[in-house]
Amino acid sequence: MEYSIRTEQLTKRFGAFTAVDHIDVAVEKGEIFGFLGANGAGKTTAIRMLCGLLNPTSGQGSVAGFDILKETARIRTRIGYMSQKFSLYPDLSVEENLRLYGGLYGLSRKDLDLRIREMGDFLGLRDLLKRVTGSLPWGWQQRLSLACANLHSPEILFLDEPTGSVDPVSRRNFWDLIHRLSAQGTTIFITSHYMDEVEYCHRLSIMIDGRIAAMGSPRDLKREHGCASIHEMFLKLMEHKPLSEPKSLLKPNPSFESKPAAGGTPS
Amino acid sequence: MMSRARLLTIARKEVRHIFRDWQTLVVVLIMPVMMMFLYGYALNADAKEIPVMIEMPSPAPETRQVADKIDASSLFAVVGTIPAAADPAELFRLHGIKALFRFPAGFARDVRRPGGARVQVLVDGSDPNLGTIIRNAAEPMLLGATLQVLGVQQPKVLDMRTLILYNPEQRSALFFVPGLMAVILLMISALLTSVAIAREKELGTMGQLLVSPLRPLEIIVGKIIPYIFLAAIDGFLILAVGRLAFGVRIAGNPWFLAVCSLVYIFTALAIGLLISTIAKRQQHAMFMAIGATMMPTVLLSGFIFPVVSMPLPLQILSRIIPATYFLEIVRGIILKGVGLRELWTPLAVLLGEGLALTGLAIAKFKVKL
Repeated sequence: MEYSIRTEQLTKRFGAFTAVDHIDVAVEKGEIFGFLGANGAGKTTAIRMLCGLLNPTSGQGSVAGFDILKETARIRTRIGYMSQKFSLYPDLSVEENLRLYGGLYGLSRKDLDLRIREMGDFLGLRDLLKRVTGSLPWGWQQRLSLACANLHSPEILFLDEPTGSVDPVSRRNFWDLIHRLSAQGTTIFITSHYMDEVEYCHRLSIMIDGRIAAMGSPRDLKREHGCASIHEMFLKLMEHKPLSEPKSLLKPNPSFESKPAAGGTPS
Repeated sequence: MMSRARLLTIARKEVRHIFRDWQTLVVVLIMPVMMMFLYGYALNADAKEIPVMIEMPSPAPETRQVADKIDASSLFAVVGTIPAAADPAELFRLHGIKALFRFPAGFARDVRRPGGARVQVLVDGSDPNLGTIIRNAAEPMLLGATLQVLGVQQPKVLDMRTLILYNPEQRSALFFVPGLMAVILLMISALLTSVAIAREKELGTMGQLLVSPLRPLEIIVGKIIPYIFLAAIDGFLILAVGRLAFGVRIAGNPWFLAVCSLVYIFTALAIGLLISTIAKRQQHAMFMAIGATMMPTVLLSGFIFPVVSMPLPLQILSRIIPATYFLEIVRGIILKGVGLRELWTPLAVLLGEGLALTGLAIAKFKVKL
């Protein structure tokens, strides 16, 4: 089996804090792989290592068949990256942003014209090409980000919380686009903390405190943990966290709180 | 290797940013011209018609004639003559005078005596510059006026002639044009580049550029190219306004001046880069750039205050900042008309500083976020 993304014992420490703790991930070509976790679980750090923006402390990995330690330059031409923050130039027009990213990835003028037309049709951006990016509504800015990340037809798309603060309808549309890209053979590596939408993933992993706590298809995971939804399963997994963890972002569970010592099993 | 296509893509994008943000562009182009006219007129204002009063208890003809000479000078304007000042401080407070000439009752008699007459001059020291002007002008003026009134020829014992080289008319334009070149080129280059890079960090676009095939050096160089042009335009603007409005001619080789200015711009850009590696937001970058360039340049480079009269620690600081060396170069080329043979030391220091700062900035520029 050929994997688009593969990591072995990938680890990143910042001082005494271990953000990513020995994770093993294998993502197949064309797969939509959900990378879940609470805020601060280490998702963004893991993505940054895969994109070559951050050096791992230990462990190894490959992206599109290239080593994430030694061949980052090769990896960069084969991936698209969309960060959780809108990262295009608000003072440039939609088309200028697209041309800029096309230029950075070395697309020829002809290819660029073609891809802008394709992306424009695909994402419904065609009528907006002359608009100044900063004046577009959020949902459209997200689509433009996706278009820029996808302009050079990357093998793998890294989407870091792409649907943050997007309304449910736009979110649903966004996932339709992602499924269409996957059907065309693009591997999608997506992080999210919206537990409802990750049910659309082919496979997902749940990260808790830098470790992968569960991995599998949404259906298998739910069956394994005896839960009706991923949301429920996620909460259940979070409850098993040691009590000493200071920054739990979940509402405290009364039965959990009454436990006197750390590490006890919840009732 | 740097890719020319990617460099141009980034440079073109940066030019778009500059033109989209036209308010900043206008400021960048108008500010130097405005500063030139401000300096030009503020510095040209010689002291004239300073309000003074005269205390004269006995209006003998000699005393009156000397007092008239004071009023007749262009430097002083006598706003009042009083027989006795009971409280001189009150005169300064009430009438806003800057000096009080106090002639004694026996002035007319004393001037003919061997010991001579005594005149007291009270000077308002709250404005030190004006105070110095009054102090320096009062004695020769009074002495000359008194001798003239008495009809005495001063014995000739010394014939001193001062010849001022390089700026014989002591025109202030010749002084502020080089100074403004040093201030504005440095500020524009360092401020605009550091803000432009901090902006990419703030927007999150820097991360987006870094995951692309762009190399960090390509990002930096591509972003900087348009600002080199902008700074060069400002330099040209200062020289053009200096020539057309203030009649400042470049005595030396203008091409050599252009080359030296580019070296200075390069050093300034390196300062901007270094700031951008530390500053995370545009505002931080702005304050740091102004603090690191504008203030030391105006105060320490010798633009306004002579370096030799500074205390030692400031002289050392002055020897560190690039503007000191550039000022030496610009004054040398514009006023003295000298070239590389005389100016290679400051030019080498400037280039060395630029290279060292660039090296430091590139080492600090985080390849990986």
